[in-house]
Amino acid sequence: MGVTCVCQMPVAEGKSVQQTVEILTRKLELLGAEKQGTFYVDCETYHTAASPMGNQGQQGKLMYVMHSSEAPLSCYALFENGPCLIADANFDVLMVKLKGFFQNSKANKIESRGTRYQYCDFLIKIGTVAMGPSARGISVEVDYCPCVIVNDCWNLMVEFMQSFMGSHAPGLPSVFSNKHESVYSPADTMVQYMELLNKIRKQQQGPVSGIR
Amino acid sequence: MTDTDALRNAKRSTRIDAWCGYTMEAPPVSAMPVSGGTINMMEYLLQGSVLDQSLESLLHRLRGLCDNMEPGTFQDHEMVFLLKGQQGSPFVLRARRSMDKPTMPWHLRYLGQPEMGDKSRHALVRNCVDIATSDNLMEFLLEMGFRLDHEFVAQGHIFRRGSMKIVVYKIFRLLVPGSTDSIEALSLSYLVEVSVVAPAGQDVISEEMRNFAEQLKPLVHLEKIDPKRVM
Repeated sequence: MGVTCVCQMPVAEGKSVQQTVEILTRKLELLGAEKQGTFYVDCETYHTAASPMGNQGQQGKLMYVMHSSEAPLSCYALFENGPCLIADANFDVLMVKLKGFFQNSKANKIESRGTRYQYCDFLIKIGTVAMGPSARGISVEVDYCPCVIVNDCWNLMVEFMQSFMGSHAPGLPSVFSNKHESVYSPADTMVQYMELLNKIRKQQQGPVSGIR
Repeated sequence: MTDTDALRNAKRSTRIDAWCGYTMEAPPVSAMPVSGGTINMMEYLLQGSVLDQSLESLLHRLRGLCDNMEPGTFQDHEMVFLLKGQQGSPFVLRARRSMDKPTMPWHLRYLGQPEMGDKSRHALVRNCVDIATSDNLMEFLLEMGFRLDHEFVAQGHIFRRGSMKIVVYKIFRLLVPGSTDSIEALSLSYLVEVSVVAPAGQDVISEEMRNFAEQLKPLVHLEKIDPKRVM
């Protein structure tokens, strides 16, 4: 994989999530992108069960454990604005052992699933973001496979994204800000997904609690 | 994709559609991420030690008994981390990195409470979780709230015989914390360990290990040593 940009596509006015996804995928197919199966990214939230003695700063800190179909035997564990650990799938077993210290908040599990497309050197993944049974939004991932240096390909990526996202093509993702000339890694993609999924989770939680 | 997976996906998509008030075919999922890993793996362990002067004859014997492979040596730096809760015993994790092969992944290990078992079981058994990780493991554990308890360097030889792993190594302490540049041997002997990692309930393995240990006598006496008794 190369430099990857993950962003949100707003739901088109008067359309449902699924309809907007269909409009996007149709545009991609018209461009000449080929369908290449499906993809899946999920994110589980863990919170510290009890604050350790004399360690009050730990309280309220959330840890995220993520999986991606692009690397199905790996597991990504990360903190907001913190390090991202890449581990093998046994990390999930460790989290079970750690349940006295870190609790999985099951209701907060959020995932994005959808179709994976290839267009020349680009991989495009259009996903429906869902929390439990409810669709919450749309994620768009664009991977420019031949390049691992952000500065060398960002302009090209923006141009490509504009071709099917129009004015919704994103600005420079925040993880890129200190990565201009350094090597891009898969962990950076997961950080972007974590930020996007968190944003979508928060966007929806507001109005829902308002109705109640 | 199994039928159950397909069914689950179909159900999921129906629920999404129900919420949107719109129907669409379930997306076929060709690559489901594996989540869960391998639950309930046990390590069967026998331990012993030899004095430095007997090392060569033990290695000679092991070369003869073990699988024909390149004689391996290793030099690892192990850090033991503790996570303390409000009550109960702290949670211990071991992070290991290879010093002689620095590009290898780091190794994170959880070891459960050792079970001595009765006389019919010939090896110490403990639950274990082995995880290969990226090199920012230490930073990540500190972020999780773990604190470094102690660290050491293990340097020695590794052999294999079937599923058994045999390590003969010396433990060194670090003269300056965090720096593996200056180390000092802890003793004038080498630790010898025979271990097998297998799914729970396979006690036959301990029989096989005992037979192997018998063949190493009198060079080294391998026993199941209760760590609680040692402390």
